[in-house]
Amino acid sequence: MGRTLPSITIAFLQEQQSFARFRRALRRSDQLALDELFAAAHQHLAAAAYAAHPLPFETFLLAMLLEEHKQVLGLRRRLDELLAAQEEHAHPE
Amino acid sequence: MSDRTGWLLDLYPNQQGGTSLWLLGDDGLRYHLHQPFPTTFYAAGPAPRLRLLWHFLENQPTQVALSRAERRDLFQENPISLLAIQVAQPAAQPRLFQQLAESFPDLSYYDADVPLALRYAAVHNAFPLARCLASVDETNTIHEIKILDSPWDLDPPPAPLRILHLEPDCDPSRKAPKAVLIRCERYSYRLALKPERPLLINLRAILDCHDPDLLLTCWGDTWLLPHLLKVSKAIGIPLPLNRDPAFEAAHRAERTYFSYGQVVYRGRQVHLFGRCHIDRHNAMLYDDYELEGVLEIARVTSLPLQTAARVSPGTGISSMQMLTALRQGILVPWHKQQAERPKTALDMFAADQGGLVYQPLVGLHRDVAGIDFISMYPGIMVHFNISPETVGARRPDAGSLEEIASPGGDEQPGLVPQTLQPLLGKRLAFKARLATCPRWDPRRKACEARATAHKWLLVTCFGYLGYKNARFGRIEAHEAVTAYGREALLRAKEVAEELGFTVLHMYVDGLWVKKPGAATPADLQPLLDAIAERTGLPIALDGIYRWVAFLPSRLDGRVPVANRYFGAYQDGSLKVRGIEARRGDTPPYIAETQMEIVKILAENGADPLEACLPRILKLLRRRLADLRLGRVPLQDLLVNQKLSRELDEYRVPSPPARAAFQLQALGKSLRAGQRVRFLYTRGEPGVYAWDQPVPANPKAVDAARYGELLLRAAAAVLQPFGMDEAELSQRLFGYAQPISSGLVLSAGVGNYALANLASACQ
Repeated sequence: MGRTLPSITIAFLQEQQSFARFRRALRRSDQLALDELFAAAHQHLAAAAYAAHPLPFETFLLAMLLEEHKQVLGLRRRLDELLAAQEEHAHPE
Repeated sequence: MSDRTGWLLDLYPNQQGGTSLWLLGDDGLRYHLHQPFPTTFYAAGPAPRLRLLWHFLENQPTQVALSRAERRDLFQENPISLLAIQVAQPAAQPRLFQQLAESFPDLSYYDADVPLALRYAAVHNAFPLARCLASVDETNTIHEIKILDSPWDLDPPPAPLRILHLEPDCDPSRKAPKAVLIRCERYSYRLALKPERPLLINLRAILDCHDPDLLLTCWGDTWLLPHLLKVSKAIGIPLPLNRDPAFEAAHRAERTYFSYGQVVYRGRQVHLFGRCHIDRHNAMLYDDYELEGVLEIARVTSLPLQTAARVSPGTGISSMQMLTALRQGILVPWHKQQAERPKTALDMFAADQGGLVYQPLVGLHRDVAGIDFISMYPGIMVHFNISPETVGARRPDAGSLEEIASPGGDEQPGLVPQTLQPLLGKRLAFKARLATCPRWDPRRKACEARATAHKWLLVTCFGYLGYKNARFGRIEAHEAVTAYGREALLRAKEVAEELGFTVLHMYVDGLWVKKPGAATPADLQPLLDAIAERTGLPIALDGIYRWVAFLPSRLDGRVPVANRYFGAYQDGSLKVRGIEARRGDTPPYIAETQMEIVKILAENGADPLEACLPRILKLLRRRLADLRLGRVPLQDLLVNQKLSRELDEYRVPSPPARAAFQLQALGKSLRAGQRVRFLYTRGEPGVYAWDQPVPANPKAVDAARYGELLLRAAAAVLQPFGMDEAELSQRLFGYAQPISSGLVLSAGVGNYALANLASACQ
C-alpha cells in the first residue's frame, strides 16, 4: 500500500511468471524440480528485500544456489558419516 | 459572578456568535455556558494578491479583524509573512474560508479548517470530560476557565455520565423492528414503534425524566434516530434529542473507502448538540475498545466525543499533531504542498521498503522464546527524533542510513516526537499496570480498553508520517522509520546468533529464538540486555513457548508464510495467528473445533499428538456426527464475509456476492465493505443469505462442504505434528480413497474428506 515499487513478493511472482513458457516446455519431472528451485528462493525473500538489488532475479538465483549448497553440505556430511561408519565396520579395533 | 466546577461534555460554535460549552456540574446539574471565542486563520501569497484579499474582506458582511503576521511553516526555514484574518464568530469562519478559497484559489491558507474543539484546546487546554472551573456571570457567559486535570493522567476521576441505551428490537437491515428498547440507570422500557403518537410522547417523557448526557444506541446512526426524527416531523410532535433547542440534529452521509488493504463502510451519522450520540455499530473500532476506549481517544485527541467515536485513529493522530502545531505557533497547512524530494533510482530501491518480514522455519519447535520491541515504530520516532522537519535536515534519511545514529540527544524534538512522547509514555504505563494487574481485578477491563485505544493511535501515527495527504507527513520520514526498524531487527538477530541462539522467525518488531538449555526468562535476560544496548530501543520477553508451530502456505506446502502459526506458552495459554480459528469469516462451528484441538494439543507436554490423538479423533467424530444429524445450530454455520467490491463490479460472483444478490433481490442493497452472512447450501446457487425474512431451511445445508472445511481446518493444526489430511481421514474413517457417489465433489485435496464424509453420512 502506498508504495512506489512492487514489493519483493510481487517482484518474485512476476519473475516466476516470466518463466511460465520455459516451464511449460519442460518435462513434468523437470517442472517439479524447477518449482522446488523457486520454492527455495522464496525462503529468502526477506533477505532479498533487504538487499534491494535493482535486478532482483540475480538475488533469487543466488538464493537458489544457497539452498542447493546447503543440500550439498548436508549430503557431504552424511556421506562422511557413512564412510566413517563403514570404515569402523571393516576394521574393528 | 459565580464559579462552576464540573466535567466538560461538549463544545461547538453557536448561533449567537460564540462557543457553547456543556458542563456536567459537580452539583448534578447540567450547565449550558457561552464564551466569546474569536478564531484566526491565515493567507499567504504575493503582496498584490493579499492587498486585493484585504479589500475583499473589508467589503463583505462577516465581521473580521485584519492584520499582518509572521509565522513558521514546518517545512520552511524562515518564517513567512501572512495576512491574519480574525473572525469574531467561530460559526461564520468555515463559510468565510470557503468563500475565500473559491475567490482566491491561488493563495495558500493556514489554520483554515481546524475544528473548533482543537482551537479551543490549544488556547485553554480543554478536552472532552476534562475537569474544569469556570467563572460565569448571570447570563452564563464564561469570563475565565481553568482546566484542572490533564489528558495524560492515568486515573482521571470518572465523569458522572448519564447514559441512556436505546435500540430497536431487531436488526433493521434484516427485518422491520416492532419496538424500541430503552435502558437508563435502573429503569428499562419497551415502546412499540406503532402507533407513533404514544411512542413519541413516551419517548419525550423518558428523555425529560432521565435527561441523559449520552445516547448509546444500536443502529442509531443508520436507522433509529433518522426514523424517530422523521416520524416526529411527520406528525408534528417535536422530539428533544438535542439539549440545545437552537439546533436540529446534524446528519452526515454514508461512505465507503479503502484503508489498510481493506474496504471499509461507514454508515450515515446523526450528531446531537448538548448531548452525545454514539452508535455502537457505527463507531470505529468499538468492538475493540468499547466506550472506555472512545472516552480515552476523545481525552487524548481533544476531539469531541461524538467525533472521536466515529473517526479513524488516523484522524485522531493528525488532530493531535495539529494541536501540537497550534500550541507552538506552527502553521497548519490547509493543503499540503511538499512533494517528495527527487532521488535516484538506486536511492529509491534502498529507501522504498517496509519492515523486515522473514519466512519462518516451517514446522514444530520446542522451548522457543518470543521477544518483541515495545511499540517499535513510535519508539523509533521519539528516540531518534524522526519528524518531517528533522529527517534529511538534522537526521539522516533512509537512503544514507548506514547505521543507527545516536539518539536525538539535546536536539529540539520535532513535531511528531513531541506529539507522540506523552502518548507512548501513557501506553507503556498501561502496559506496566496490566502486567501486574491480576486477572480478576475489575479495573483490568477498562485498563485494557484504554491501552487498546492507545495502541491504535500509535499504530496509525507511523502510517500518517508517509500518507501523501497528511498535513505533517513526509515520505522520507516514513522511510527513515522503517530503515531504523530494519536495522534494529538485524542487530537483534546478530546479537542473538552471537549468543548461540537460532533465529526461527522475525516479523517487523519481533523475533522467535531458541537455544538448547534456554527455557526460563532468566536464560533470556542477557539476550534482552544485549539487544537493548546494541539498538537503543526497549525490548521485552513476550513469553516462552512450550512449543510453537509455523505453518506453510495453504497453496504450496513448501513455501513458508510469515503470519500463520500457533503455539502454547509455558503457562498453558495460547497464541494463534492466521489459522481458520482467527479469521473473522470462519463459521463458529469450525473455528471452535479447531481452537479446541489446539487446546487439547497445548494441554499435553513433550509429544502432544501421541498422547491426545484419541481425544482429538473422538472430538472430530462427535462434531461430524452433530453436523450429519443437524444438531449444529445454523448460526454456528454462518460464514461472515466482506464484499470486496460493489455488486455490479463482479464478473464471477463469489459466494458472498451471490448471497448479496439474494438480498438485493429483496430490496436490501449492500455496499462494498459491508459484511454478508450466509450458509453454504446444496445445489444452485450454493449459498443462502442469512438476513432474509424467510429463515434458512436446515435440510438444505451443504453438510459435505462443512465437513470438508472442518477436516481441512483440523489437518492444518495437526500437520506440524506429523498428520496430514489424508492420514487424518484414514484414522477417522479407516480408509482414504475417494468414492464416486452422486455427490458433487469439488476438486482438490478436499476430496478424501468429502468422500469419507459422504459415506459417514449414509
